[in-house]
Amino acid sequence: MSQLTAAYRGLRIGDRWDAAPKPVRWFGLLLVVAFAYYLPYLNILPFAYIRTDLTPSGSDWASVLFLVVVYMIVAVGLNVVIGLAGLLDLGYVGFYALGAYSIALFGSKSSPVVEALQVKFGLSEEWAVPFAACIPIAIVMSLVAGVILGAPTLRLRGDYLAIVTLGFGEIIRITARNLDGVTNGAAGITQVPTPPGPEIDGRQFFNTIDAERWYWLALTILILIIWLARRLEHSRVGRAWLAIREDEDAAAVMGVAGFKFKLWAFAIGATLGGFAGLLFGSKQQYVEPNAFMVQLSFLFVAMVVIGGSGNIAGVLLGAFLLTYLPERFREFVEWRPFAFGVALVAVMILRPQGLVPSRRRAREFEDRRHEAEEAAADV
Amino acid sequence: MIRSTKTWQAVAFTAVAGLALSACGTTDTGGGSSSADDGDCNFKIAAMGALSGANASIVIPSVDGAQLALDQWDGGDCTVSLERFDTEGDPAKATPVATQIAGDESFIGVIGGAFSGETRATKTIYQDGGIPMVSQSATATDLTQDEPVEVFHRLVPYDDYQGVAIAKYLTDEAGASKVFVIDNAEAYGEPLADRVAETLGDKMVQRDKTEVGQTDFAPTISKIESAKPDAIMYGGYIAEAAPLLKQIRDAGIEAPFIGGDGLYGADFGNAVGAAGEGAVVMCPCAPIEDDSTFADDFEEEFGGKPGAYAAEGYDAMTVFLKGLEDGARNRADMLEFVNSYTGEGLSKDIAFDENGDVPADQVSYWAYKNEGGTLTPEVEVKPGS
Amino acid sequence: MDFNNLISGLDRHTLDGITRGSIYALVALGYTMVYGVMKLINFAHSEVFMVGTWAVLGTYTVIGATAGDGLGMVIAATVLALLAAMLASAGTALAVERIAYRPLRKKGAPPLIFLITGIGCSMVLVEIFGQVLRVFFGRPFGRVTVNIPSVLETKTVFTIPGIDLAVSNTRILIIVGAIVMMLALDAFVNKSRLGRGVRAVAQDPDTASLMGVNQERVIMLVFVLGGAMAGVAALLYTVQYDITKFDIGFIIGLKAFTAAVLGGIGNLRGALVGGLFLGLVEVYASAVWDSSWTNVYAFVVLVVVLMFRPTGLLGESLGKARA
Repeated sequence: MSQLTAAYRGLRIGDRWDAAPKPVRWFGLLLVVAFAYYLPYLNILPFAYIRTDLTPSGSDWASVLFLVVVYMIVAVGLNVVIGLAGLLDLGYVGFYALGAYSIALFGSKSSPVVEALQVKFGLSEEWAVPFAACIPIAIVMSLVAGVILGAPTLRLRGDYLAIVTLGFGEIIRITARNLDGVTNGAAGITQVPTPPGPEIDGRQFFNTIDAERWYWLALTILILIIWLARRLEHSRVGRAWLAIREDEDAAAVMGVAGFKFKLWAFAIGATLGGFAGLLFGSKQQYVEPNAFMVQLSFLFVAMVVIGGSGNIAGVLLGAFLLTYLPERFREFVEWRPFAFGVALVAVMILRPQGLVPSRRRAREFEDRRHEAEEAAADV
Repeated sequence: MIRSTKTWQAVAFTAVAGLALSACGTTDTGGGSSSADDGDCNFKIAAMGALSGANASIVIPSVDGAQLALDQWDGGDCTVSLERFDTEGDPAKATPVATQIAGDESFIGVIGGAFSGETRATKTIYQDGGIPMVSQSATATDLTQDEPVEVFHRLVPYDDYQGVAIAKYLTDEAGASKVFVIDNAEAYGEPLADRVAETLGDKMVQRDKTEVGQTDFAPTISKIESAKPDAIMYGGYIAEAAPLLKQIRDAGIEAPFIGGDGLYGADFGNAVGAAGEGAVVMCPCAPIEDDSTFADDFEEEFGGKPGAYAAEGYDAMTVFLKGLEDGARNRADMLEFVNSYTGEGLSKDIAFDENGDVPADQVSYWAYKNEGGTLTPEVEVKPGS
Repeated sequence: MDFNNLISGLDRHTLDGITRGSIYALVALGYTMVYGVMKLINFAHSEVFMVGTWAVLGTYTVIGATAGDGLGMVIAATVLALLAAMLASAGTALAVERIAYRPLRKKGAPPLIFLITGIGCSMVLVEIFGQVLRVFFGRPFGRVTVNIPSVLETKTVFTIPGIDLAVSNTRILIIVGAIVMMLALDAFVNKSRLGRGVRAVAQDPDTASLMGVNQERVIMLVFVLGGAMAGVAALLYTVQYDITKFDIGFIIGLKAFTAAVLGGIGNLRGALVGGLFLGLVEVYASAVWDSSWTNVYAFVVLVVVLMFRPTGLLGESLGKARA
């Protein structure tokens, strides 16, 4: 194992990539993107073994890919909060839920909110807020929730923030479950709208069978979001986050307003989480509170940390592995959670910096390790 | 890094060569055996439900029951296999599974979904795939009453009936006139308790809500103490019913306790212990007749007493197998067969009305009493009459 | 909304709240001690508690204790079960420390990583009882609720005159047991030599190690002590609720952690105050509305308290628990 990693390091792929001519890098990137779009049809040996539908009780490959990409969006969003700003958010599922619920509440014909609107404004029973209008609603709702949660709590120190955000996630879920008159309670909301599109073979373009279309949609959005997130990371805001993460007091002395930028991180993270939730709810066409348990929050954090928090490529890998592996190995039905736990511990102990750490993080980490070793040597 | 250009040329070459080479072989993925020709009888039946996770114990016995029916079937020239699809009871995990099943024509029927939530999330997918479903245990009323789909059928009557049955038992059999109604705030317990409350009318003294995962019911107990009911109804599952019952009896409240089919199963007695003695569980499952070897066969095969919905799982499989015997060789034929199916099942006489429900005049419930850790049939309750 | 219920049964609800809070408080100690010394949230602590409840069941099964035994047997079974639970929980806590935390500490990993290994350990422990042991030994392991016989049968011991409040033997055991354990722990940390080491490391690990305090031993000690307290909580829990299940730890752990933060994490007395306060809030609020909002009550109170007292009711720091 260590030989393999040493050999891998010997290749110095990262350095070579940076040193490669720009056209090569663009071409490489293009290849990766093209391959990603091609994935649902991947059927060439030996690569096809990554498909999840090879065993008789496998699950639909394109649907799994869709879920992977939705969780990738989540991971990129949560990475802004945890990886860039260094805030531990254990209630991220709350924003995800808000996104899903906002499209369900306003877009579904059978949601109590829409029914109330129909009665109030004398609209037909078929009326609901159109899909396109649900997007801004979802964004605004999760953004506002991010600010409402962040404003009073971001002044708290790290670990306090963790429990308060965890509580926030629970409050969202329980409220959605108990407010029967607004959210239809535990039964959830059906008939969540899908994006508009041409009809093909008598079916909607975005239907329940052709999951690869959903995957392509989500992938396109993911690519846009990654591009935005990278711009953000290297902007003034991104540098401010870095400064806060490394040393909040020093940053404050240098004139970086900690609170303001933390709130930004929270709001941006919340919006991305909400957007992912919206995609999920729309594909699922059904939203119910138990889809948003606290455990999902832990899974999200694990994706970011396992992959390498602070590095977009890392968190994408983390999201991919943690979503994909349990689906790929469905034949181990009841053993999967156990294996999952063992893997979490093992990976973190072997590679505490994450699978693909950002360079800065890796260096910070080396420093800490030396400190720890020196401290140990002193005793 | 002067070598870089060369390196990249090499990488590009290897990549192209690799793609060209690997194009030689492909795997057989998805819809492998495609739609079978007439006469060729090679099919798979899917069972979809929580096979792992916290709720697996409610689902696994029914899938085992289905397996037993398949094992005991003399298929002639037909080869049928049962494929188990785990959803953890989570609608989000159920949709990829459903899409897979719907897209693979070698599946001719679906047993499930086991829970109402996953069924709600997947029934349109199966509808689009035209594949008939027979659920052994999804009882939410809306599955067939709002937006019904043609492919969905179930062997259990929906919760509205159960609510009426429980209320009827409470008033007629237990002679209760002051009932305390508790639910678990979930999609199963709450509507059930609502229905009980509605039917009881002013015979309900008070209503309280609890939640899944709760073990300390002290606030509920004190409400019961001051309401002084002559019966207590709980809509929820075994995990919470056990500590609830213990705390009720500890507080010296001796009023009869009755729950819905969420409490039914071999695990009930193990979980409630001595405090559950005499508790009543309402279930749409008729007692299995003594001359049936089902219980023994099941125990021999799976090493335990038939748990929740094992007989329904057996019956669901039987419906599909009868369809194959009848000559159904594709989904459309099978759907037609299931729609008009009538036959004697292990759990009851089986038929489906136009929504896929148990016909109203055949709806019947049984009250089971927990005696020494086993649920023994007490009385039949017909909510329809 | 039913404020009458709260007012008319205030004595009863208070007793209920203290009972519930006592168990929270005992589990909260584990979070608070580990946090005080290592500035680390031990996410696997909820499962340390869960293992304790299985040890109780195991003890009863081995010695054949069941409901209706004589007084001698009841005492023997309870004491043995208490010891077994403390031992099992402390052992589990120590194992978690060894496997999941120590290697990371050696590498100087950031706190977030500890969180993930903690969650990983917690999943592993849950699955050991939900899956692994079931495969090897069958029932009672697995994903079902298991009854633990009421060896100590609930009986009303006395009625508080005037307010007519019946107090049962199980409640006395829980409340007195929790308070005695807390006082003992508090005395240990504040009075004993080892306890002084714990406080020293909590205040300033570097200086403490310069002064000759073995930091590794102190860390092991807090895991063992925290685990043993969770074991006590496990016994009291089974006495009151009669059940165990592979996943019962999660909610108790969540609440205990909330209680620890509420009282001031790192502060032993804070755990007691936070636990009781949380128990009372939950029971009072559930009496007025209903139990389906329990977690909302808990977290809303937490946010409100933290807004006014950002380090909890009593403030943090194990080192400054008693100046």
